[in-house]
Amino acid sequence: MNVYEIENLSFRYGPSKAGVLAGIDLSIEKGEFIGITGPTGAGKSTFLKCLNGIIPHFQGGILEGNVLLNHNSIMEKRMIDIAHCVGSVFDDPESQIVSLDVEQELVFALENIGLDQQTMEERVTEALQMTGISHLRHSKTAALSGGQKQRVAIAASLALKPQVLVLDEPTSELDPSGTKAVFEVLNQLNRELGMTIIVATQKTDFLARYASRILIFNQGKIVLEGKPQAVFAQQEMLKCLGVRVPQVAELAYRLQKNVREIPLTVAEGLNYIQRCL
Amino acid sequence: MKAHSVIKVEDLVYSYGDHRVLKNVNLTVHAGEFVAIIGENGAGKSTLTRHFNGLLKPLSGRVVVGGEETKHCKVSQLARHVGYVFQNPDHQLFHNTVEKEVAFGVKNLGLSTQTIQDRVAEALQAVGLDEYRDSYPYDLSKGQRQRVALAAVLAMRPEVIVLDEPTTGQDYREMMQIMEMIQVLNQKGHTIIFITHDMALVAEFAKRVIVLCEGKILQDDSVEAVFTCPDFLKQSFLELPSITQLGNGLSHPEISAPFLTVDEAYNTLKPLLGGEAID
Amino acid sequence: MIEYMPRESPIHRLNPLAKMTWAFAVMILALIFNQIDYLLVILGTVLIVAVLAGIYREMLGVLKGLLMFAVFLVVLQVLFYRQGTVLFFLLPLDYLPVTREALLLGVAMSLRMMTVLLSFVVFLATTQFKDMVVALTDKLKLPYDYVFMFMTALRFVPVFLNEIVKVREAQAARGCQVDGHHPIVKVKAYTQVAVPLVLISLRKAEGLAIAMETRGYGSNQRTYFKEQPITRIDRVVMMAIGLFVVAGVIIRLQGFGMI
Ligand SMILES: Nc1ncnc2c1ncn2[C@@H]1O[C@H](COP(=O)(O)OP(=O)(O)OP(=O)(O)O)[C@@H](O)[C@H]1O
Ligand SMILES: Nc1ncnc2c1ncn2[C@@H]1O[C@H](COP(=O)(O)OP(=O)(O)OP(=O)(O)O)[C@@H](O)[C@H]1O
Ligand SMILES: [Mg+2]
Ligand SMILES: [Mg+2]
Repeated sequence: MNVYEIENLSFRYGPSKAGVLAGIDLSIEKGEFIGITGPTGAGKSTFLKCLNGIIPHFQGGILEGNVLLNHNSIMEKRMIDIAHCVGSVFDDPESQIVSLDVEQELVFALENIGLDQQTMEERVTEALQMTGISHLRHSKTAALSGGQKQRVAIAASLALKPQVLVLDEPTSELDPSGTKAVFEVLNQLNRELGMTIIVATQKTDFLARYASRILIFNQGKIVLEGKPQAVFAQQEMLKCLGVRVPQVAELAYRLQKNVREIPLTVAEGLNYIQRCL
Repeated sequence: MKAHSVIKVEDLVYSYGDHRVLKNVNLTVHAGEFVAIIGENGAGKSTLTRHFNGLLKPLSGRVVVGGEETKHCKVSQLARHVGYVFQNPDHQLFHNTVEKEVAFGVKNLGLSTQTIQDRVAEALQAVGLDEYRDSYPYDLSKGQRQRVALAAVLAMRPEVIVLDEPTTGQDYREMMQIMEMIQVLNQKGHTIIFITHDMALVAEFAKRVIVLCEGKILQDDSVEAVFTCPDFLKQSFLELPSITQLGNGLSHPEISAPFLTVDEAYNTLKPLLGGEAID
Repeated sequence: MIEYMPRESPIHRLNPLAKMTWAFAVMILALIFNQIDYLLVILGTVLIVAVLAGIYREMLGVLKGLLMFAVFLVVLQVLFYRQGTVLFFLLPLDYLPVTREALLLGVAMSLRMMTVLLSFVVFLATTQFKDMVVALTDKLKLPYDYVFMFMTALRFVPVFLNEIVKVREAQAARGCQVDGHHPIVKVKAYTQVAVPLVLISLRKAEGLAIAMETRGYGSNQRTYFKEQPITRIDRVVMMAIGLFVVAGVIIRLQGFGMI
């Protein structure tokens, strides 16, 4: 079943502005783990804003084509209804924190959709645990470090248990183990709850490890798409676009141009090299 | 002859309210060094570096910059010696053209108009933003804005340049551009201190690594030494670059030093694999 | 200054409504009297509440700040109020007379201002944002949207001040003497802060709106995570405060407490 169907989507921020998205066609199935990457300014954030309804509900501009969420057009849905099934994490952790303390931040959305206190308590505890910030539960949001803020933002949208989670650079300020933890959580949600995950990031190492499908954006178009193995085999093209290739994949590619199964993770790399040695 | 020390931190303690963030930090940075500061989120990296230009003053202990204790200096005085590129470019841009933005710092140094113009032009060229000199900074992409902020500091030619996560949110190409630019500055004699979470960048560019963990310095050594230390992972919650992990995982008599970059790995492995792997 | 200060105190545990009642009662009492000893007593009670809440030291700091305003108010009175018995002259040759009435009135006005502001600062320092929202919407049945907007605006003040600090830090870090004593440099620096500040604030406000709506804000089935019940203590406190106000009004109607 398709969660999203995107038909010939184009977008400009204004009549006199250049096109940012140029005719995107895509379907996303329930339970996919989509990784999006590409050079800065390629339109990744803009695309994600079309998925979670910020375009057209908040951001003005010229939209053509259609985005269907569960077979209904996003434009005709109310923001509240979209929020019920799509959770969002934005690229700037500072501007998406609404509340003064962490607990309240997590509870905000749950109160809005009218859960009872017992359920809220469970959801909050669980989301804090998953993102590894249980100890920050009663901290003031203003006193958090950049990385801690980002985790709070993720926890806040996790608590809603949406059908789809759309994340824009959710780990840009996180340390490696924090990034790994976030991707592990996403992986777990994806595996166990069948949650559809759509994440834009420059950290391609992690996409290689966790994504089921990767989309490479450039100048408002999807220029490359496929399983991580297939995408990271196209290294000439990726280099041209300025996309980072996982180190292991780069090494393997340089050692042997036409590897059948390009190794992406350290374990796969070890396996591969030991086979060759 | 050892270069003179530009920053000296002695028994530095700092707290926000009653939350102790830095616990007895000691370190010395010498002229011409290229230092990376790494550590988990909330380890106190930003808090530490904000002491280097006097934005924060020690609760106890001393921070000496260019021979003077920061406690007695104003930030605007220290700015002549220490340039600081903040993590968020949007808090450091406040003019309506890129050129004015870059000129702001230099003007504060009280130089002649001609010198100011030259320095601005040079800095803009260094970051590859000549053609944007009349643009409105907020119309640029985040990566470009970050480079404007960098140019603004470069134009002042401070002895020491501190960069707080200069490459977050940049794509690979921009990231490399920024790092290579910093490397050139270092070769020209500037002392560079940068904070990052990107271990591959540390491996490729830094010469010395300071690992901060819960407000204490866990390690302070060359990149090779830190990345081969077995306790590194466990204690600091950090992870080695994957190419280094790969090298450490291979037990082969020919591989002695850790791989820091893909190039190194390639040069070591290629002869070992011989002809049959490379068709 | 108007930030919540977490403490374990009976004042903190009171329902926001009780504290709000108290703050309004202080305001009413401070407004109906203008005799200095009466006002001093009211200010004294506010300080006692601050002591009970364990925020005495912070409030003294606030009081010190308010004192500057107070002096200003007294000076204004002295300059513009010329009736009554002349005590002395500010300038030689009998220029600028200072009258007893002007002084008394000025001091009374200052005390009034300090009392009212301080009681609200104590209220805000002992009451959490979220509890206030719940009290106002759930108990007083005010519309959630307006309450939330008002509280967010209030909350934005420290955020805004924080932004000013950040921008000024960035200026100082580039050698601008905003941290010096040169007045012209400082004024110039302030005008430069204005532009990025407006931009940053606008972007912040927009981001906040988006963040709220994408998390289901605006549906009408809202529940509350932690409801603070109105306890018996709260009722007793509110009743006592009510009695005090009534008593105050009666005393005033008897003609006491006015100059
Ligand atoms: N609010 C806006 N008004 C006008 N133009 C905009 C706006 N937001 C983005 N743009 C432009 O649209 C283009 C695509 O921006 P977008 O943020 O989608 O890129 P991105 O791929 O997410 O980049 P990054 O990796 O830097 O986040 C850029 O050229 C940008 O300058
Ligand atoms: N203004 C502040 N007020 C109170 N506490 C703060 C403040 N800034 C930072 N902290 C706390 O101090 C600790 C260290 O913060 P700091 O910003 O130095 O961390 P960092 O190492 O730079 O982390 P990151 O990698 O996430 O940026 C954190 O636990 C944070 O919560
Ligand atoms: Mg983006
Ligand atoms: Mg930091």
